[in-house]
Amino acid sequence: MSNFDMELDARGLNCPLPILRAKKSINSMTAGQVLRIIATDPGSVKDFEAFCKQTGNELLGTTQDGAEYQFNIRKS
Amino acid sequence: MAKRLKATERKATILAVAKVLFSDKGYHGVSVDEIARRLGVSPAILYRHFTSKEALYEEVLNDIACKRESYVDAVVKSDGSFADVLRKITRIYIESVSRDPDYLRMEMQSALEGSDATRQFFENRWRPFTDFIEFSLKELSANNSIEPVNGRLAAMAFQGMVREALYSKCIYRSPRYHDLDLFEISDYLIGLFFNAVGYTEPESSPASLGGTAPG
Repeated sequence: MSNFDMELDARGLNCPLPILRAKKSINSMTAGQVLRIIATDPGSVKDFEAFCKQTGNELLGTTQDGAEYQFNIRKS
Repeated sequence: MAKRLKATERKATILAVAKVLFSDKGYHGVSVDEIARRLGVSPAILYRHFTSKEALYEEVLNDIACKRESYVDAVVKSDGSFADVLRKITRIYIESVSRDPDYLRMEMQSALEGSDATRQFFENRWRPFTDFIEFSLKELSANNSIEPVNGRLAAMAFQGMVREALYSKCIYRSPRYHDLDLFEISDYLIGLFFNAVGYTEPESSPASLGGTAPG
């Protein structure tokens, strides 16, 4: 996956915590920067799709490696 | 003979009838034959839309439960504070219950029947609350915003409070909550909970609606 400017470790957290932490991280970033989130909650795939749809930030990609999911989100 | 319906209409009708029966008698108390009989169709029609009774039950549950997207929306629209997020996700849950009290009946039936699949389903519906409360209290305590508190216990206490109030109001029709609507009950319980864990709401959070405390 592409480079990122900030990483958020949301492993072991369940909805709504990964979303809440992502929201706080993105608030501290500038437009165009990329946040990488690592999560273990399978529901986070749909959660981050919904998050990006609702916030207008861009979901650059989602990858799964075993029980871990990685999301790259570009702040709009 | 039953009127011919489009597939989507037929499916919606099956879900509506099955929901009423499941909430009244539980999963084991209802047969596919009974659902078909109530619909005025043959069981074969049901199996065209649902592979099994279990699949139908699961879809009924998913249909009436609040959606994860709503929780995401709540967090996006919140100010990010513990108070605001908890208030918003509690309201979403309560809204889903007020929209369809059969959800609560199905939750109670599933507890009595002890099915692993449904117990897991309902536990997952409560997880946003318990995990969020537990982690948030841990953080607030680490930041010295509140005194140390057992987050797991507090999370379970909150879940118990909300459940008891919903059952009393929507199932038992208890006079205790007669004068309060579900959102007033929600605000009242959240206020009580914040007091109990020693949490003071930040200025930006909307103030509790107050209301008369139930006896």
